Amino acid sequence: MEEKDISPQESLALINDMIGKARKRYTDNSIFFLMWGWIVMSASLAHYVILEYTSFDKPYIGWLLTVPGFIASMLIGAKRSRKAIVRSYTDSVYAWLWITLGLSIFVMVFHGEKLGWHIVPLTMLMASVGTVVSGAMMKFKPLQIGGALFFGFSIFAFQVNESQQMLLMAISVLTGYLIPGYVMKKKALKNEL
Amino acid sequence: MSYKPLDPLLHSQLRLAVMSLLVSVEQADFVYIKEETGATAGNLSVQIDKLSTAGYIEVAKSFEGKKPKTTCKITTQGIDAFEAYVKNIQQYLKP
Repeated sequence: MEEKDISPQESLALINDMIGKARKRYTDNSIFFLMWGWIVMSASLAHYVILEYTSFDKPYIGWLLTVPGFIASMLIGAKRSRKAIVRSYTDSVYAWLWITLGLSIFVMVFHGEKLGWHIVPLTMLMASVGTVVSGAMMKFKPLQIGGALFFGFSIFAFQVNESQQMLLMAISVLTGYLIPGYVMKKKALKNEL
Repeated sequence: MSYKPLDPLLHSQLRLAVMSLLVSVEQADFVYIKEETGATAGNLSVQIDKLSTAGYIEVAKSFEGKKPKTTCKITTQGIDAFEAYVKNIQQYLKP
């Protein structure tokens, strides 16, 4: 492309072409869905097994993994942002959406008693918001479906006991984070995102 | 009917391409703009300077490790100029 004058028709075609190029580019965020999918899946299954089959009094121990997970997410996010050659408006909205949801979940965890210990279904509702909105921003159906399932499972989770809630949590991260995460990764590798 | 003149700073192939890219994203690296426009580094650099001098874009220079990094961002003045250009160009396209 050179620095030259163009006709109004060429101008409009060029604007359309460039805006189209910029809009097509989506960031592959599968690393976050996969990392959080495995953290939450491991912690909730460990919680379930400890509650059902042992007498250990700290069944929530696996959830401590979320602390390094949060730090790792912030570090990966900051590094990717520094290295990125373009930052779209959706990239910023996406980052702030998950940072605020993550912090809200931490606040809820520390106020469990006041929330009647319904932390799991409430966390699933929060995850549902983040997943559905992320899916809508990327026009990526697997995330939107996964987010809708999070929402549905959370309604069941309000009705059941603690160990059953852990199983529901494990199933919902499988459908909400892990499956869409692997589909996203595969599409990104094929440059289909 | 008299046609409103088109902004000469935008009515040029490469500068218009740069502005069209920047209006769609929050910020973009020089490398990205070069890739998408297919321009030479020298020419792109000159045109970016012109847009920056006019206040249409902001250019920030930094380092990523040892590599220099130039990041461009459209300004509010740039968005207004781009919108006015698109509006004005429509008058030339009416049958």
